[in-house]
Amino acid sequence: MRIAFINGSPKVKNSASGALLEDLKGYFSETNEILDLGFHTTDVSETVKAELSTADAWIFAFPLYVDGIPGHLLSCLAQLEEENVHHSKRQVYGIVNCGFYEGIQAKHALRILQNWCTKTNNPWGGGIGIGGGGGLAMMPKLEPGQGPKAPIDKALSMLAEKIEQQEIQENCYVSVALPRFAYKLGAQMGWRQMIKANGKKASNLADRPE
Amino acid sequence: MKLIITDLENFNIPIEGEYKIISPKGSIHHCIGCFGCWVKTPGKCVIHDGYENTGIDMGKCSELILVSKCYYGSLSPFVKMVQDRAISYIHPDFVIRKGEMHHKRRYQNVISLSAHFYGEAITETEKETAREILEANADNYDGKVKAVHFYKCAEELEGITL
Repeated sequence: MRIAFINGSPKVKNSASGALLEDLKGYFSETNEILDLGFHTTDVSETVKAELSTADAWIFAFPLYVDGIPGHLLSCLAQLEEENVHHSKRQVYGIVNCGFYEGIQAKHALRILQNWCTKTNNPWGGGIGIGGGGGLAMMPKLEPGQGPKAPIDKALSMLAEKIEQQEIQENCYVSVALPRFAYKLGAQMGWRQMIKANGKKASNLADRPE
Repeated sequence: MKLIITDLENFNIPIEGEYKIISPKGSIHHCIGCFGCWVKTPGKCVIHDGYENTGIDMGKCSELILVSKCYYGSLSPFVKMVQDRAISYIHPDFVIRKGEMHHKRRYQNVISLSAHFYGEAITETEKETAREILEANADNYDGKVKAVHFYKCAEELEGITL
């Protein structure tokens, strides 16, 4: 089976979407061929379109942007719609990570992808909404099922199984295995470290430029 | 002030009161997820292409009006890219609102949010998605939804006043 992993983060490196796809890859047997593709800008190249056309399943992974799909990825999806790239037996799956704690906040983005599938006659296979995605790219690599990523590992493992069997799954929503207050505190400490690294004070986070 | 973000290049819909329009004038760069608008130049996007001040404009508006072609229940790529580039309207810190994590306010204005979606054959599911996203946007901006409208084509918008 040829499976296209489509990284829809604007970041070419060190993205949570990339980290999730890397983890997902570990759940597939070696008999499958994974195509690593990136939708990092507003355009889909002819080479990528050609590779996509050879795949048996498409897995989109991307960050939640303002309750939806990032604008550059919407542009890519619109281009694929124009190309009429449908295949009645190719399942499309989605993995959305959001900086908020609750994975359920990714439900609208998954719905947009599902609506795109309906419009383009590509079967929707279901997806995962992942909360607490802010730190995923930086988390240490542990054995699957260990540490704060344990619930995410479980969801990815189940999704991989569905993909290999070309089955549909209900959208599922998970969060990192940390208390919400601890995730919130960690994220806010992170903003303060970042702004100080840029030579500013923590109070500048609240600036209101004219 | 009414802030209008639209993908219509020739926007000629009448508008009552003070307003500002953000429409396609030159190419827009998409958000690159750098968070520079929160930690390098707080309140302002770091990409200088003429679309970097939307977060500041949002801080001055009473109404945010989105006029966009509907793409799968979402805004169009252009309008969404403008919206993505304006997350500096909110503060990076989190608050719990309606039981969910959202961002803290940067400004004190309460935005009244409207959307006018146009497009051929917008399905009921897409309309439902669009309505739900606008509600979610209002929760994140700590604002409120005023109205969501759908039109079969952009020409139908000529009969309205914003």
